[in-house]
Amino acid sequence: MKARLLAYTPIASLAGCRGELTLRELLPHMGYTFAVEKISRACSHQLVRHRVASFSQQSQRYITVKRLSERVVTPPSVEAAGEPVFLELVEKASEAYQRLVDQGVPKEDARFVLPNAAETSLLMTMDGRSLFHFFGLRCCNRAQWEIRALADAMLGEVRAAEPEVFSEAGPYCYQLGYCPEGRFTCGRMQEAVEKYSA
Amino acid sequence: MKVTLVAHTPGVETMVATSMLTTTSSSLPSTIHGRLVGSPEEAGEVVGRLEVQHGNVLEHNRLIWVVEATRDEVLEAMLDTRFLHFTRLGDDRWLMSGNLRAVVEYAQSKDSALTRELADSVMDVAPMVHRFMRRGHP
Repeated sequence: MKARLLAYTPIASLAGCRGELTLRELLPHMGYTFAVEKISRACSHQLVRHRVASFSQQSQRYITVKRLSERVVTPPSVEAAGEPVFLELVEKASEAYQRLVDQGVPKEDARFVLPNAAETSLLMTMDGRSLFHFFGLRCCNRAQWEIRALADAMLGEVRAAEPEVFSEAGPYCYQLGYCPEGRFTCGRMQEAVEKYSA
Repeated sequence: MKVTLVAHTPGVETMVATSMLTTTSSSLPSTIHGRLVGSPEEAGEVVGRLEVQHGNVLEHNRLIWVVEATRDEVLEAMLDTRFLHFTRLGDDRWLMSGNLRAVVEYAQSKDSALTRELADSVMDVAPMVHRFMRRGHP
């Protein structure tokens, strides 16, 4: 998995016209475009639930999936289990996909046999305020591991580009000073605060 | 009413081309973008095929304007489109932002002083898309 910030509107570009507006008030006007690469379809399904964003994703209608077993994301828990059934199923899905394509079934239909583990890449653009919300939810210890890793990588990119703007971004416990997860709290707020303050 | 483009993401049309190729290519988006940054001719050729693409390829950018307009004029714009964001800077002075798709679709849906100024304001940052807009279809 990889996230790269390809383009953004530098906050400095508004120096002459922002008037009395604070950084927080400027955030909805700022745009950030990322290349998000080699994530699973399971992760991209979570990503597109952030509706105040724009996405352009590799299409399985147009791109033939080749060597599926080399292009899947394997969860660490599956690797740790040492259970071969995951890769066996990927191999079977790959064979079924190829057989359907070879028989003339359109890729848009053959893809129905592909697993959520299949790799995908996409462009994603989000405004600054929505990005703070995204980090608030997805850097949280309760977020699923793959999208949390992605959110951390994206946070690293924007902090490197605009440290003044994003030094306060991170999971909601870090942003707010308390955990908003209620009884579902991970109980490790101090650890999170230290991690994102670093 | 006066509309002045004050900031935008760099390489707006290069990103339009990157977006178009990302959906149909097995190459990684960052690889495609890197190649197109080094080859403006290829980026131009790709954007030239824009009319067969979906509008979402125009969304990977941010354009920011300072608008001098009355509250009624701004209210009208906000009722016309929910894809432009406004913040008040002072009396009859506003910060407005959105993406290229919002500009194209607003300009195509309504002929007004604001939409004409908006369309003209993107002439330099997105010259090919601007030409498509003038032709009546993106």
